[in-house]
Amino acid sequence: MGAYIVRRTLWAILLLLVVSFLTFVIFNVFPSADPAALRAGRNATPALIEQIRRNLGLDKPFYTQYWIYLKGLLEHFNLGYSYYNTESVKSEIFSRLPATISVTVGGFVAWMLIGIPVGIISAIKPRSLLDRIMMGGSLVAISAPVYFLGLVSLFLFAQGTGVLQWAGAAGSYVPITQNPGTWFNSLILAWLTLAAAFAAFYARMTRGNLIEVMHEDYIRTARAKGLRESVVITKHGLRAALTPIVTMAGMDIGLLLGGAILTEIVFNIPGIGRYAYDAIVNADLPAIQGTVLFGAFFIVFANLVVDILYAFLDPRVTYG
Amino acid sequence: MRRRNAVFVGLAAGALVLVAAGFGNGGNTSGAQGKKGGTITMLSNGDVDHIDPGQAYYQFTYAITYITQRPLLAYKPNSVTPIPDLAASMPTVSANGLTVTVHIKHGIKFSPPVNREVTSADVKYAMERGFDSAVANGYASAYFGDLVGAPTTPQNKVPNISGIQTPDKYTIVFKLTKPSGVFVGALQEPLTAPVPASYARKYDKGTASSYGNWQVATGPYMIQNNAAGKITGYTPGRQIVLVRNPNWNPKTSWRPAYADKIVIKEGFDPTVGTKQILSGSADVNGDFPPPAAELKSITSNSSQKSELEFTATSGSRYVALNTRKPPFNKLLVRQAVAYVLDRNALRLTRGGPIDGKIATHFISPDFGSVGFNQAGGFNFNPFPSAGGSGDVAKAMALMKKAGYKSGKYSGPQVTQVADNSPPGSNTAAVVANSLAKIGFNVKTISVQHAAMYTRFCNVPKNEPNICPNVGWLADFHEPQTLLDPTFNGKNIIPTNNSNWPLLNDPAINKLMDKAELELNPETRYKEWGQIDDMITKTAAAIPWIWETSPTLYSTKVTHASELWNGGEPDMSFMSVK
Repeated sequence: MGAYIVRRTLWAILLLLVVSFLTFVIFNVFPSADPAALRAGRNATPALIEQIRRNLGLDKPFYTQYWIYLKGLLEHFNLGYSYYNTESVKSEIFSRLPATISVTVGGFVAWMLIGIPVGIISAIKPRSLLDRIMMGGSLVAISAPVYFLGLVSLFLFAQGTGVLQWAGAAGSYVPITQNPGTWFNSLILAWLTLAAAFAAFYARMTRGNLIEVMHEDYIRTARAKGLRESVVITKHGLRAALTPIVTMAGMDIGLLLGGAILTEIVFNIPGIGRYAYDAIVNADLPAIQGTVLFGAFFIVFANLVVDILYAFLDPRVTYG
Repeated sequence: MRRRNAVFVGLAAGALVLVAAGFGNGGNTSGAQGKKGGTITMLSNGDVDHIDPGQAYYQFTYAITYITQRPLLAYKPNSVTPIPDLAASMPTVSANGLTVTVHIKHGIKFSPPVNREVTSADVKYAMERGFDSAVANGYASAYFGDLVGAPTTPQNKVPNISGIQTPDKYTIVFKLTKPSGVFVGALQEPLTAPVPASYARKYDKGTASSYGNWQVATGPYMIQNNAAGKITGYTPGRQIVLVRNPNWNPKTSWRPAYADKIVIKEGFDPTVGTKQILSGSADVNGDFPPPAAELKSITSNSSQKSELEFTATSGSRYVALNTRKPPFNKLLVRQAVAYVLDRNALRLTRGGPIDGKIATHFISPDFGSVGFNQAGGFNFNPFPSAGGSGDVAKAMALMKKAGYKSGKYSGPQVTQVADNSPPGSNTAAVVANSLAKIGFNVKTISVQHAAMYTRFCNVPKNEPNICPNVGWLADFHEPQTLLDPTFNGKNIIPTNNSNWPLLNDPAINKLMDKAELELNPETRYKEWGQIDDMITKTAAAIPWIWETSPTLYSTKVTHASELWNGGEPDMSFMSVK
């Protein structure tokens, strides 16, 4: 197992290097905006733009720029400074990380609390009216875009804009350390919006996996031994059915920690996703690079954690 | 002035008439007594372009800069005529136009931690730092480049400009290399707001100034800061908090500054933000107009529509044709395009008649006797068509004269580079459809808005045949700021070019160069009106809308829209009811 972890870690580092390089290439090769021209403004002379280009280091060949960036990253964990407002990208990402973690963890809890039980109930009573209602509802939730669901929830339930003003308004987010009550209130709609599609997907996955597992021989054996049906389902059936769910959950958490862009935009939550969106609009390469790297890191890390967890969940899995 | 990438919708020109008629009541633009105290909340979608007043260039940013800083001249909300702000009186111009003298008021102080009285040296430093590439003010060269000693190349430090003289603490004497009809008007730009050199110089060192994060104020408000001077009230992309400047003396200012605090909350979806303002959770919109669907709903609701103010945006949107590349290097072909273009359909992509009046030349109606009337006003329309929907027959007749016997273009495909998202993408589609009526096969390359400008349309060697999504707003209320950067041949530059059609007409250039030097306003506006007509007839660019911008207020505050700044709210005149 130890050797496996070391090997995966080394691959992860290589992968992150490739991601950072590709981001650089894409930004320089594809027609994105010219950050020096954006920074200079409408009436600026070409000479001024070139001066700004030199100030920002953009006059160097892109491989030289990449090397400078890489050196700063590896030696000092320096993610550079925003072309747009000269703020440190690392500081900005870390200041926004709590908001993104808040959205992700809360959303995760919500979708697991909703999706798994719904999936279990549907699996226990397949093709019943309840099953059809739940799976039909899950299809709607999967199909509705996050942006649409978010706006609808704001217009129905949010303070200031909603018909029923139960939850916090868009833009009302505060850190949990500032006011836990307001923090919770400001995120509840974001959690439920984010959870909707994920819960639906997880419900369908749980249902499918559990139905399949419940036909296995060892389930029949468990029943033959006289175990209660609830014990058969939870102790024997779910354990096998949830293994792939755990894998997915890990990857989804990793993905969201890189920034739930649409959710953060609709609910105006100052997380990494919102930062990434603004960076793209402003052709702010250091910020784009930083958010992409962060997102890639969380995905890679989450994959590693999930794979290790798999070995504990499924005794058949071993790593050399 | 730079237009943010936002959809502007509004009523037909004559918005001023509508305001006067009571559409958008509750105005406090005359400075009538409001209620002291309270907090005003503004919502925005994006952030300011720069928090440093020496770098600011967006309309939205100006709404904040002008209430925290005091340039030499400024505007009351309902006026487009600059009046003294830091200046004690209007500048005096010598007979030959080469010397402009300004006296500043006594007793104006910087906010903490500087606290001392403002002197003429502070204005000198403020303007000089704009030429330092660490600050890189976007209009320093354009409007102050004629100062004696002004650098012609970017500087690596704040230069000393010999043409800005400070014979005493309260007098600034500007020496120019040539007369300028707009120099006095440019003194309203925030670059002329004083900056204390001894305090700011350390932040202006290096390749990028950090003075914005340590700025001091001279206006009635300041960005909240700590005792050391670091601003704590600005979190990029999230919030700006303005508090009262304790050193502001109301006796030196015509701003009433009723509210105690102003909070600008950023990152709002325009629909969500609009609903929050309507519900009273926030007070006014900043950089986004209410979306078209919301506007329709508001204008059909009798209680809500009185909270809406429409203001002209002092400019136009237009379609630029590359005059250096065939086929649009031919006058007759361009004029055929001007006839066939469906301006009504173009306007529909922005919301229809509520968005503004169909433009027939470049100086917009809000300029009035400052060039608009002299250009022929609403009666000047060299390419008329029924309902502005285009005249295919006239277009074909011109194409025949141009040598296309069938009346339709028969050459290679032409290319346009357009916005990849609505409404810009819709505008480009209308342009392509219109041109197809006279045989053009238009290939559309869709890119992000900023890339459209900085990689294609602003770079002559990369410029396509058509740039359909361009437009220009006046930097201040002089027609030169509308027409000179955008149509004078001498302003064609290899990058960051704003003369998108690459128009280089010697007769027009000559008249513009002459008008730039004209000090007599009456003569100047007549000349620019004539220039407007000449440019329009070349059909190098085809204007299609004079837009108006809606500002939505909550019922909890009084209204004050900046006529000079495209309807941005003047929060120093607003009060909580």
